[in-house]
Amino acid sequence: MKPLFERIVHRAWWVLLFLLLVTVGFASQMPKLHLETNIEEMLPKNMDAYLNKQRLEKDFNAADMVVIGILKDDKEGIYNAHTLALVDELTQWLRTRKEFRTLALADLMSLSTIKDIRGTEDGMDVVPFMPHPASSPEAIAQLRHRLVLNGLYMGSMVSEDGKGTLIVVRPAADYVGKYHDIYQLLVEKVSEIQKRGGAEEILITGRPVVEGVFGVYMPQDMQQMQPLILLLLVVLLAFSFRNVRGVLIPLAVVVLSEIWMLGTMAAVGIPMYTVTTMLPILILAIGIADSVHLLTHIRVEAGRDASLSRSASIVLAMQAMWSPILMTTLTTAAGFLAMLTSDLIPMQYFGIFAAVGIVYAFVITILLIPAIESVLPKREQPLKQLSFGRYLTWVGHVVIHHPRQICAGFAIVLLCSTYGLTQLNVDSSLIHQFHPSDPLRQADVVLNDRFSGTNTLDIIIDTGVKDGVLEPSFLQALMQLQTIAEANAMVGDSSSIAEFLAEMNKVMHGGDEAWRIPPGNASLAAQYLLLYSFSGSPDDFDSFITSDYQQAHVRIQLKSDASADADVLLQHLEQQAKHLFPHVTLEYAGTAYTALRFSDLIIQGQMMSLLLAMTMIFALCCWMFRCISDAALVMLPVAMAVVVDYGMMGLLGIPLEIGTAITGAMALGIGVDFAIHYLYRYRYHEKLGKPYQAIVLSSNEDTGRAILFNALVVIGGFLVLLTAHLYPQVKLGALVSGSMLVCYLASCYLFPIILRRNTRHG
Amino acid sequence: MQKRYVGLLLFVLLPWTVLATESTGLEIMTHVDQREDGDTLRQHMKQTLVDRNGRERVRQLVLLRKDVGGDKKIISFFLEPANIRDTSLLTFDYDSVQKDDDQWLYLPALKKVRRISSADRGDYFMGTDFSFEDMKQTPELDDYQWHLMGVVNVGGYDCWQVEGKPVSEQVAQELGYSRMVQFIRKDNWMAVQVNYWDLAQRPLKTMRVLALKEIEGIWTATEIEMVNQQSHHKTLLSFSDQIYNESMNDRLFSQRSLKRGYRGQ
Repeated sequence: MKPLFERIVHRAWWVLLFLLLVTVGFASQMPKLHLETNIEEMLPKNMDAYLNKQRLEKDFNAADMVVIGILKDDKEGIYNAHTLALVDELTQWLRTRKEFRTLALADLMSLSTIKDIRGTEDGMDVVPFMPHPASSPEAIAQLRHRLVLNGLYMGSMVSEDGKGTLIVVRPAADYVGKYHDIYQLLVEKVSEIQKRGGAEEILITGRPVVEGVFGVYMPQDMQQMQPLILLLLVVLLAFSFRNVRGVLIPLAVVVLSEIWMLGTMAAVGIPMYTVTTMLPILILAIGIADSVHLLTHIRVEAGRDASLSRSASIVLAMQAMWSPILMTTLTTAAGFLAMLTSDLIPMQYFGIFAAVGIVYAFVITILLIPAIESVLPKREQPLKQLSFGRYLTWVGHVVIHHPRQICAGFAIVLLCSTYGLTQLNVDSSLIHQFHPSDPLRQADVVLNDRFSGTNTLDIIIDTGVKDGVLEPSFLQALMQLQTIAEANAMVGDSSSIAEFLAEMNKVMHGGDEAWRIPPGNASLAAQYLLLYSFSGSPDDFDSFITSDYQQAHVRIQLKSDASADADVLLQHLEQQAKHLFPHVTLEYAGTAYTALRFSDLIIQGQMMSLLLAMTMIFALCCWMFRCISDAALVMLPVAMAVVVDYGMMGLLGIPLEIGTAITGAMALGIGVDFAIHYLYRYRYHEKLGKPYQAIVLSSNEDTGRAILFNALVVIGGFLVLLTAHLYPQVKLGALVSGSMLVCYLASCYLFPIILRRNTRHG
Repeated sequence: MQKRYVGLLLFVLLPWTVLATESTGLEIMTHVDQREDGDTLRQHMKQTLVDRNGRERVRQLVLLRKDVGGDKKIISFFLEPANIRDTSLLTFDYDSVQKDDDQWLYLPALKKVRRISSADRGDYFMGTDFSFEDMKQTPELDDYQWHLMGVVNVGGYDCWQVEGKPVSEQVAQELGYSRMVQFIRKDNWMAVQVNYWDLAQRPLKTMRVLALKEIEGIWTATEIEMVNQQSHHKTLLSFSDQIYNESMNDRLFSQRSLKRGYRGQ
């Protein structure tokens, strides 16, 4: 490699021009980048939650809904002319907006659209609860009376205490994935209404909105954090190198790497996903390491032998450093590439482009640093004046004189972490990723508290025969399934065709509550539906029963979007369904189910990635050190960091979810670098025949410094994530920086002690 | 000066446009309304309801109609599917707008006749895409302002193109339409196509007569389709076995006949 480095040094200007041209090329691509916030785009298309969602939409016209809550917390509650007029105004306004689909009853539900099945003297009538906004005290009292008597909409459309009502609306097909726009539109409408005055509080939530807002918040958050990270880098670089050059050169390397990476992404037409918006920050924090190691060594070489020419010291440093830098680049890239095992498309891109960015950082480091160092005038500082000198010597002494205490300390940490691992649980909730003060999270909490729940578990049951749903035994099983579901504390309400048929049966038996049971024979059920069709709309029950009466849909409303809650409910239902529906299979869908399957997928994927990353990094280390025992040794500190990472989560009660599960593979890829650099240097000094003490002290002096700096940047960079508004970043930041701290300590304190027992030339 | 000219222009033009359009539009619709349709009619109706996934539900009925003065009495018996067989419906459609129609439904599974409270005119007819109003030969002429738009060719026949707009906001709300355009065949005064717009002025439904023939000298639609452009739901009505002007006993149109069911009488 020496001739290559000499050539770079001698043709420095050409190299710099080349770098400039490539950068301009990539930068010109960047405007093509676009953001993809539709969570559906993330799901693997063969996942049952996704397929069943499509089926639910096709067969039952049912979709994820936007929820608008209107609350009035005084004695009369919502039952007053002003509030009811407001409900009607909002309902009519929604009908006129192209952002929503408002064809069928199930598309737009509010007090202004829902219908009452009313018993008449000699029949049944289906009438809207509120054909016109009720204004007279009598009409309002009658409305309330009818809602209570009907009962089907208590809790789901009006709160039991009478102080709130919902408008539930379906986003139009063209607006799927543009839920943030819908949220903005509604927020504007609400503020317009509130400017007019009125005691009503209007809240907006619903799964599509939560997803859409999340998808937009995260990139915004990331953009705001970029300057913070750069500032942190400047401070740390200035502190380490104490000159302008030492700050600007590494910064140039990472900024160029970021441009190259984003440019590549744009050029191949890959959009930015919520997860991949973390990439720029990641590259800034990780890509800096190579240049810091290289610059430190150029300084070290120059300081060791002042007689060396400028270009000779650069070439010497390059020769010493290129292979450890290449290796750490490869191991880090391998850690990220292991994410390709994930079933989630954005996770795959995250892995690919993190790896691409890191390779770019390596290429730029190798080209830019020797070129620019040889062009700039020689103005080196002696090695001793570089920062951290006293600390590094102290570390060496501690390692040499107190090995037992260090081992004991790590043993305790490992023991606690192992206990923590046993406490680890899996749970993910999208709404809990928002700050408790966020209006969306607050709205969601309030509306879930007052109403039946904004999350759904949908069950599709195919009886296999035409008119099969109308069979009394089937309808009874449906009712029982609902009763079982509603016994779960998280379930607010459930609905199915059985419920409506039971209501019709009651009405046709003079309103006698004892008759609120499914019709006694299938013909009667068919005739009720026919009777209903004389005053209802043809599509009123489309969301509950297919038009051939073969398939039924049960919608269960949940007050929580936590996957663990959905898991408990689902397992119970699956078990009961075996007895209730012995001959048919149940298919599940809905926001709660998607969240659950999504969470399963992430955890499985991440565990696979972790194993793959371990294997790949181990293989690379074997090849690099040409020695299995060294490769195993190098893995030790980082393995410990991963154990501590997941152990901390267990101890702190942080569940495994998308943001936290990813930390293991990330910590592995980044953290293994410390030990690799350390071992390289240790073996180098060892070959020179130095005694143990001298090896430790000189390894600390050169590589120890670079590792410390590297650790500070990575820990600091991830700590910046603590300022994020969304919790996945905060948790990710805390966990990665925590495990990197452990990894640093293990690499620089514990590692040399272990190496002493594994000396090659003992 | 200018104002006066404008006023003069309006004075000259306005009555002329009103006369030229509204009167002829209404005239045509009146012709359609008064078209001969027999004093009694017995026919077979097949309803095919097609949902947006193409899933079909088929019902077979026998309809008997008798005109009593301006009023129409109609009794319908469901023959198929089996689970609603013998369900029957009796309708008294009164000529006067003031008097609400009467309807009774017999449910054999309950063995009881149920009165159906008079439907809103915009309500759907038996879960089909037709509203009660759409099922009639012509809408209530007084509900709309009629305007002749011109003559167009529909399916090889010259047709009057007549636009109807509800006379008031209230009527529009009641009917569920903001506008309709009728295509009336010049040769036989049959409406062969009607387009409907919803209250937000969006295209809502289209009715098409797919087949028609002259039976006993009376033009009869034998296949009618109604497509809801918004929900993509579709209803196909096929009529057959028509017998016009057969003598029918008034007692046939009673609650007692509802219970007795259709025995081919």
